[in-house]
Amino acid sequence: MHGWTGTIQYVNLSDGSCRREPLAPDLLHTYLGGRGLGVRLMREFHRLDPFSPEMPLIFATGPLCGTPAPTTARMTVVSRSPLTGTIFSSSAGGLFPWRMKAAGIDVLFVTGRSPAPVCLILNDAGAELVPADPLWGKTIPETAAALRDRGSVAAIGPAGENGVLFASIGQDTGGAFARGGLGAVMGDKRLKAVVADGSGTVEIADRDRFDRARQDVLRLFNASPVIFGELGFANFGTPALVDLIRQRRMSPTENFRSTVFAGAAGYGGPAIRNAYAPEGDGCHGCPVECRKRTPTGEPLPDYDAVSHFGGLNANADLATIVRCNALCGELGMDPVSTAATLSAWGEARGRFASADEMPSLLADIARRRGEGELLALGSQQAMGRLGRPEFSMSVKGLELPAYDPRGAYGLALAYCTSSRGGCHLQANPVSHEILRKPVATDRFTFSGKARIIKIAEDGNAAADSLVACGSAFFGATLEEYGELVSAATGREFPPCRLLEIGERIFMTERFYNCANGFTRKDDVLPERFFTDPGSSGEGIEIPHIDRERFEVELQKYYRIRGLSEEGTFADRLFLERQP
Amino acid sequence: MKDQIETYASKLVADRAADPTGIAFAVQDDQLYGTGEPYLADLARNILSRLTGLAVVVARPALPFAAFLMERAAAGERTIVPPDTETRTFLHDIPFLRVDEFRRDGTAAVARLLGARKGIIVEGVGIVAVGQLTVEQAYINYSSIYHATFVKYLHDLLTDGFRLPGEEAAVRDFVATYRPATAEGLVFRPGPLDDPEDIFAEMAAVGRYTVERRLVDSFFGNISCRTGNVVYISQTAASLDALAGCIDPVPMDNATTAGITASSELLAHRKIYEATGARTILHAHPRFAVIMSMQCEEEGCAVTDCWKECPKVRFLGGTPVVAGEIGAGGLARRVPPVIGGPGRAIVYGHGVFTLGETGFGEAFLAMAAVENWCREEYFRRLEQQFGRDRS
Repeated sequence: MHGWTGTIQYVNLSDGSCRREPLAPDLLHTYLGGRGLGVRLMREFHRLDPFSPEMPLIFATGPLCGTPAPTTARMTVVSRSPLTGTIFSSSAGGLFPWRMKAAGIDVLFVTGRSPAPVCLILNDAGAELVPADPLWGKTIPETAAALRDRGSVAAIGPAGENGVLFASIGQDTGGAFARGGLGAVMGDKRLKAVVADGSGTVEIADRDRFDRARQDVLRLFNASPVIFGELGFANFGTPALVDLIRQRRMSPTENFRSTVFAGAAGYGGPAIRNAYAPEGDGCHGCPVECRKRTPTGEPLPDYDAVSHFGGLNANADLATIVRCNALCGELGMDPVSTAATLSAWGEARGRFASADEMPSLLADIARRRGEGELLALGSQQAMGRLGRPEFSMSVKGLELPAYDPRGAYGLALAYCTSSRGGCHLQANPVSHEILRKPVATDRFTFSGKARIIKIAEDGNAAADSLVACGSAFFGATLEEYGELVSAATGREFPPCRLLEIGERIFMTERFYNCANGFTRKDDVLPERFFTDPGSSGEGIEIPHIDRERFEVELQKYYRIRGLSEEGTFADRLFLERQP
Repeated sequence: MKDQIETYASKLVADRAADPTGIAFAVQDDQLYGTGEPYLADLARNILSRLTGLAVVVARPALPFAAFLMERAAAGERTIVPPDTETRTFLHDIPFLRVDEFRRDGTAAVARLLGARKGIIVEGVGIVAVGQLTVEQAYINYSSIYHATFVKYLHDLLTDGFRLPGEEAAVRDFVATYRPATAEGLVFRPGPLDDPEDIFAEMAAVGRYTVERRLVDSFFGNISCRTGNVVYISQTAASLDALAGCIDPVPMDNATTAGITASSELLAHRKIYEATGARTILHAHPRFAVIMSMQCEEEGCAVTDCWKECPKVRFLGGTPVVAGEIGAGGLARRVPPVIGGPGRAIVYGHGVFTLGETGFGEAFLAMAAVENWCREEYFRRLEQQFGRDRS
């Protein structure tokens, strides 16, 4: 088989059984891999409680993983989020996805709950569970170091073990599966780590066509100011956005009470460059290397982390931001939800945590001790318990990233329609509303945004199933990635087909969420954005969002999606009609 | 969106990219509608109903060059591969649909091709382009295809000569109506420019001049002005005739990254400023300069990817021609060493950079002069090579 391995690895932690089975080719052709395949495989399980032993935790690569296609040494982890209750997929790049696929499997499907902590070893021969008691309680870097000789590692830290609802899954090299608390699902299963040590290779159906498409992608990366531009991600990492988002007056500040933080320049891309002389720390084989580290190997924060541990918490101290970000990586927590929960708590108690307090609070959250017991629940539940739910700046319980929706109306809509909750990545309107890619749109209008968001959601669902990095699409498009996957697999995937597949994936996610009770009432921004203006100035007006106009566009979105006015499915057999 | 349709329909006419009597748009939000020439509007609506995008434009090109390219193509060919780097980078190739296939499969065949590319050519109809996110995007894709086919046709003509009935007459008609670019009637602020408000206003005016005097394909290109440690540069994907609010101030030392939205040619502009001491830079894609830059007489050369790999400096009327990819490719390395003396340079298959030592007037005049020289030289060579055919 070209592109895919055509094999799924099942592991039941309750009884320790491991088996490999072939994947139906039709399933691969209609869901691709990554997010799509993971979501499809959740069909029989989507109503289960996230902490039910039967709940799957799915690690899925795509048909481009293992090939030289740019930014595709990635996988998606799929399950149901304990933080939001939504179906949840989290994508990251690294060597682990590459080596898991090299072990001969496209998908790892984990169910059950082990009676004692274990590690799962994957190699060419199959799968093996080994005791992990000595590793329980260790940080992710400590765990990775202990397992390094056995292969590439994906692991949880203390936060995942302790059920922190925004716990992440980290890797020895590469990014973390950060959002949605899938690390807590892994911890609940007593699965400390997965180690992959495959040696196989991926067969490419048409090498010449693949190489041409690859050159097309790289040429577009070169032509993209965001990717390889002088001020772009390759040079400054994603903190290159700090100065731009500040200039656009949409930096979340003091728990979204304002939209300009005076100290932002102190932690932007140039400030980090001056302070740390960063080096590239990119995902395996990625030419962009947007993630950076210090020369001594300490990871440096990405844009969302730097902004949220910065202005969102009224903190201008770069050293503290870098330390908090590193702690999240070590302890296994999503920096966005961690920082946003701290921020909500800061507003609720009338005082944001000081730079000195923040690192110890993070440790308390991961260990669930002191104030950390409450904060480990995430902002929505924590603020609910404090009787101040309005301070949770989240949608469906997922804390918003570092873009204030009062500064971009497509973004406001996208936060609400995302199947994950308050996430901008599924539609990525920042691309056209702020970064002018592929074309610029007016950020202060809702006009046309419903269809734009729908199209982008479908396209990104397909991209997340290839699995390609979202940053690649600041330069390339589905045209070029469609060529890559067609050349790799020997089957034709023009952009229109990828969009169809993406639509199927997104609507399946929406259906799962509706089956779990989500409706229009959940597709809503925190009240603050409809009542309080942002920080106007420098000739830029940041008013509050017009609720009526927002509702009109949301209804338009539902009509385009074929949903009811409540955002639900009139067709109860929708799922049964899907392949 | 109706306002946007009017805007971009007018632009197609102003660009002389479409026959004013043969333009139609279809758009869909939660509803689908089409407008323009009735047959084409109906066609546009039917096509868009099969696509997920937001807009489609269908129009008859003002010149028949795209149609000639299709007719000149061998029977089995299905795409036109543009030789210029801008189109090669963003469009890759341009599929076309022959009239018999269009009659047989109609909009389904058009939609199938548009499902894989940004725009196509349909024999007997014209250019069909899709805007995935905006009406403007449909216009851009139409315009890019129109200009790409213009460049390819005239480029091919210089090599292969006239082959079809009507070709020569069409080219003659075009020559008869073509006017050299001039700065007549244009007003330039004297430089050097230091006040940011003056810079913004002058850049917006000069950007508009380059479009109005047709020194760009559609509205692409970029423009900058240096004062002290700051380069004011047009944003990526900004329309040169609508630069108000689309100019980024970027410090030479990269002290802020707020200019991440600046033109993809920021690096080239910066390197040129460092190498030359110029105060203004104009970069556009005048069509005859692009065509002529791809005419190379060298025989037996081992370089095949001339547009990015050619190491030589050639000259067109005293203007140096160098190779180099756009953005972070080789263009920023190869242009600065050659542009200082003449104040102008051509990038192989791409476009022209010109400099002003003080203001923009000098840069604009240089741009017009390069394009006019290349146009005259093009037709001189065409006459020289195929003159007898035309008699």
